[in-house]
Amino acid sequence: MKKVKFRFYLDFEKEEKWINEMAQNGWHLEKFFLGRFTFTKGEPGDSIYRNEFITGMSVLEKKEYFEFLKDSGITIVHESGGWVYMKKAAAEGPFEIYTDTKSKIDYYKRILNIFLVLFFVNLSLGIMNVNIYTDNSSIEIANASIGVINIAVALLIAVPIVKIIKRKKGLEEEQQFFE
Amino acid sequence: MEENAPLTEGVYYILLALYKPRHGYGIMQFVSELSNGRVELGPGTIYGAIKTLVKRKWIVPLDDDGRKKEYVITEAGKLLIEAEIKRLDELHHNGLLITKEERQQ
Repeated sequence: MKKVKFRFYLDFEKEEKWINEMAQNGWHLEKFFLGRFTFTKGEPGDSIYRNEFITGMSVLEKKEYFEFLKDSGITIVHESGGWVYMKKAAAEGPFEIYTDTKSKIDYYKRILNIFLVLFFVNLSLGIMNVNIYTDNSSIEIANASIGVINIAVALLIAVPIVKIIKRKKGLEEEQQFFE
Repeated sequence: MEENAPLTEGVYYILLALYKPRHGYGIMQFVSELSNGRVELGPGTIYGAIKTLVKRKWIVPLDDDGRKKEYVITEAGKLLIEAEIKRLDELHHNGLLITKEERQQ
């Protein structure tokens, strides 16, 4: 049995939490694409799910990393849009991808670098496209509309950027005393 | 990272694991066994550390004829571990020294 749900999370950690709640209720993630999640019915709570941002990894690095994940008893569920979902049997104990503060901070930094580029590219394209607008010719209206979309995307990206910066800061404060 | 900055627990144990050639999963298992299950390193943590350690030439990948890439510690990596052991020894020694009186009461 399958179930499709549409959800749009700006916070990838909240999304992961929801995916795990679904799994607790016996709905296991199978596929995801831009807010569309497909689940199949299965044993409730038998797996722990984790997502990871893998944009920026070379093909070879990814191949190597995925092989390592598989060796560690992790199953790659699905990969889409620079993100991957993986799962591990709950019976094998806790499952975290990043287990210390330093590597978690590095992971946040990696996400931030790419999100910040996306933010500024969209923002500057948006401003340029909107500024082109001088008369009511259809091309310029089209341009301006694209510009508005660019700016909207930039604003959407700004939400996770702020969240990640806050979490990173929290970890960095903790790091003054603990590893 | 400075040359004598403290190593994270994870990096310290990964370097120790690589006194013998091991691949990622081998490191994970070894560290878990060595610490009696106290230190369970996540795959992202291990993979990120491996990449940094290779870049700093503290470990090297072995020519892989097989499927999985194995890594081994370099001389520079061993020096780093030696220095770290000295540092930990000092921490341990001073910790015992200062708390000794309290413990004897």
